[in-house]
Amino acid sequence: MSRVFILGDDVDTDAIAPGGYLHLPLEEQKKHCLESVVKDFAGSVKDGDIIVAGENFGSGSSREQAPLLLKDLGIKAVFAKSFSRLFYRNAINVGLFPGTIKGACDFRNMEEVHFQMEANRIISQNSELDIAPPQGIALEILEAAGMIDYARKLITRD
Amino acid sequence: METGFTSAEKFFSRISGHEARSGDFVWGEPDMAYMHDVLGPLTLDTMKKINEDNVRFRGRVVVVNDHIYPPKDTTSSNNIRYMSDFARKEGWDLVPFGEGIEHTLLIEKGMIKEGMVVVGTDSHTVTAGAARAMGIGLGSTDMAALLSLGKTWFRVPETTLLNVTGNRKKYVTGKDLILKVMSILGTNGANYRSMEFNIARECNLNTDDDLSIANMTVEAGAKTSIIFNRSKTTDFRNLQSDEDSAVTEIKIDISEIDPLIAFPYSPGNIAKASDYAGTHVDQVYIGNCSNGTISDLREAAEMMDGRKVKDGVKAIIVPATRNIYREAIKEGLIDTFIDAGATVSPPTCGACAGLHMGVLAKGEVCITNINRNFRGRMGDPESKVYISNSYVAAASAINGKITVPGA
Ligand code: SF4
Repeated sequence: MSRVFILGDDVDTDAIAPGGYLHLPLEEQKKHCLESVVKDFAGSVKDGDIIVAGENFGSGSSREQAPLLLKDLGIKAVFAKSFSRLFYRNAINVGLFPGTIKGACDFRNMEEVHFQMEANRIISQNSELDIAPPQGIALEILEAAGMIDYARKLITRD
Repeated sequence: METGFTSAEKFFSRISGHEARSGDFVWGEPDMAYMHDVLGPLTLDTMKKINEDNVRFRGRVVVVNDHIYPPKDTTSSNNIRYMSDFARKEGWDLVPFGEGIEHTLLIEKGMIKEGMVVVGTDSHTVTAGAARAMGIGLGSTDMAALLSLGKTWFRVPETTLLNVTGNRKKYVTGKDLILKVMSILGTNGANYRSMEFNIARECNLNTDDDLSIANMTVEAGAKTSIIFNRSKTTDFRNLQSDEDSAVTEIKIDISEIDPLIAFPYSPGNIAKASDYAGTHVDQVYIGNCSNGTISDLREAAEMMDGRKVKDGVKAIIVPATRNIYREAIKEGLIDTFIDAGATVSPPTCGACAGLHMGVLAKGEVCITNINRNFRGRMGDPESKVYISNSYVAAASAINGKITVPGA
């Protein structure tokens, strides 16, 4: 089971990984992840939690720290009505699952839900949500646990 | 059924070596890759994990230390050392310290050229569209994989074609045009797409305007952009979208546009700047990769000439490159700023991303010509950032409140 953090539209990369800390080690950056959106996010997030957000999640910068911090803090997957291109690609590269939501989300914030990856569905006690997983090369990279391992495989294959 | 090629299809066909159509996934080798001191270090770390000491990328690699330059603390200083030492070891182009902000600088230096496909570890790599190149931002791992593998994958973007006509009013610039586009497309109306501009000669926009237009296309979600400005006589047909290609067209008459503003906390929150006239400001910031050009400095100086910055307002002016700085000195613009009581900083990303040199305090309000006004972008999460053109920003510094010249 996962707890779900419900977020709104246009959660940008400055909210996820604030610019003022980007030059510091990841451990330090993590403390500030989403701090302007969710009170004490870094302190309250637990391993296996997921995020369900609105439109245009991860808009703004190319900073890969955004998906990386979420993943390092224990977020298992991020679901949104839509993603910004760079966040989507970066999430796949670092091995954080980005699922696109189909339909309306009735989950309550911090409710316990279950992400059934094979069924492309998230279920809670009272409702469920269909999701569209990444396709094509993106899915292959995700299945290799991210771009580092995928690229290593390509190199040894050549 | 459209048979012609869009501009993006032409560019991606060339680098992939196959006929590339919108929506296709292709592998290709860009002509150039560049990175900077804040998002570059993670790229180098990741490269080592993929394939230590084996760079297969054959294009040009450029390192620009611009984000926290001059370094503000030991961490940023170490980052710059790391990038520089690595670049020297690999024989990459290491741009001399202090030359300027990468997106503006690499165009100015002629390193980004018409027809090229360039990638950078920075979302504003789309600025290359001003040089009629296609710039695409990549994350650090994507960049590391490209350098290690010698190629990367792309999804060929669909195209939104913006046809711009009309005579602009005085005090309306390219910034207002792109803010107008933001009001039409919102923050994701061009997501995954290429934004191609066809700007009529009568619009009277210059190459600096092109830079500010291309730069903010990523704020509408664009993957890349390309600007065809008719004020030049060149024939662009080989690079432009063909007449019979599949594009979504938007028409804009620039003569109907007044100075615009993006209010907190999204570059998609667009209103007439005059709607916010009178709003108190604590800081005015003129600079960054979109609008730190000589045209911007001239516009700002026109507003500040013989006047004084309002008591209590921090006015910070950042020429985007050393050459722009030098030109501004020659033209007397820097004297104008100093006489007005503004602070002129060396070229750097500075406070644009809340890094250094003008970070906002809790509750402070800033008006600026940069490209993003996300919550906390320039400092404290409780600070507020308004985006406008340089005339409006500079005039606001004089009055200590948002001011629209000529209104
Ligand atoms: S000036 Fe600002 S937007 Fe441009 S590259 Fe630097 S931090 Fe990014």
